[in-house]
Amino acid sequence: MTATLTLWIVIVAVGGLTYLSRLSFIALFARWDMPPFVARALRFVPAAMLTAIVVPAVALSGSGADPALAPEKLAAALLASLVAWRTRSPAATMVAGMAALWLLQWLLRAPAA
Amino acid sequence: MTPPLIGLLPFGLVCGVAAQALGTSVWGALGLSAIVFSGAAQIVAAQLLAAQAPIAVIVLTCFVVGLRLMMYSAAMAPHLKPLPRRWRNALAFLLTDQAFAAAIRRFRSSADARHGASYFLGTGVLLWTTWQASNLTGYWLGNVLPAAWSLDFVVPLCFLALLVPALEDRPTRIAALASGVAVIALDSLPMRLSVICAGLIGIAAGLAGERWRGR
Repeated sequence: MTATLTLWIVIVAVGGLTYLSRLSFIALFARWDMPPFVARALRFVPAAMLTAIVVPAVALSGSGADPALAPEKLAAALLASLVAWRTRSPAATMVAGMAALWLLQWLLRAPAA
Repeated sequence: MTPPLIGLLPFGLVCGVAAQALGTSVWGALGLSAIVFSGAAQIVAAQLLAAQAPIAVIVLTCFVVGLRLMMYSAAMAPHLKPLPRRWRNALAFLLTDQAFAAAIRRFRSSADARHGASYFLGTGVLLWTTWQASNLTGYWLGNVLPAAWSLDFVVPLCFLALLVPALEDRPTRIAALASGVAVIALDSLPMRLSVICAGLIGIAAGLAGERWRGR
């Protein structure tokens, strides 16, 4: 199978399923109530899934190209978490995290240069 | 509205860069951002495509990543109920983390559903358009942006900004902790199955934590 075909199958399938997730209860609400177990499980989706995405990106620093542990990413992410917790602002979180990362990268590289 | 838009620009840029790194045409990149219209799903899909994962694994992982949209859908449902079905179906496509956060406050503060819905429509269209522009910019700048800028770090930062407010009580923190430990422990699994497995383990741990506390 060509890479282009694979990509378009993924686009259509993921796009379709993502739309169905968006539509789900907007469409069903009139006829159904959400089963209590589903409602309880859905509550944990952000905490569980976002952690599963964030932790490897921060602690396991990429696959293959740069597999080493990156302490500056870990430190920048911790600072960004603190900012996210205090401000609840995505923009402030992003600015604080990137600024911390650049500063730490510069500090860690300075002696070698 | 301005802060979510600003937060979205670097995220869209990185999604565009990820699509460019796959070696796809501009139409593939645009299809991904215009049809999927979810940064989390696009990044995960791009990573799994790059890792040569089977289509079923890619689609399933992206689906679970997108399950949080069902929560937004449930929260929006009572507000959109007075609208004609055609409008409900169309507005559902614009449901994103940012549009939800911006619109739900407007819906709750106004008794007129049409007022909230038109605000949601405006916000959603603006976010969709901005998303395409930033994705395309990332696609075209993919080769130019220096790797030393570590721009890909905005992806975990963007998710952190969503994750931290989601840790609202002890069961949600248990879910996150279990998922974080599991995703590292399972890192050697092929096809990045660690992400979906850790997510499911986290959800189960959260449910167990809630039941344990409820006793």
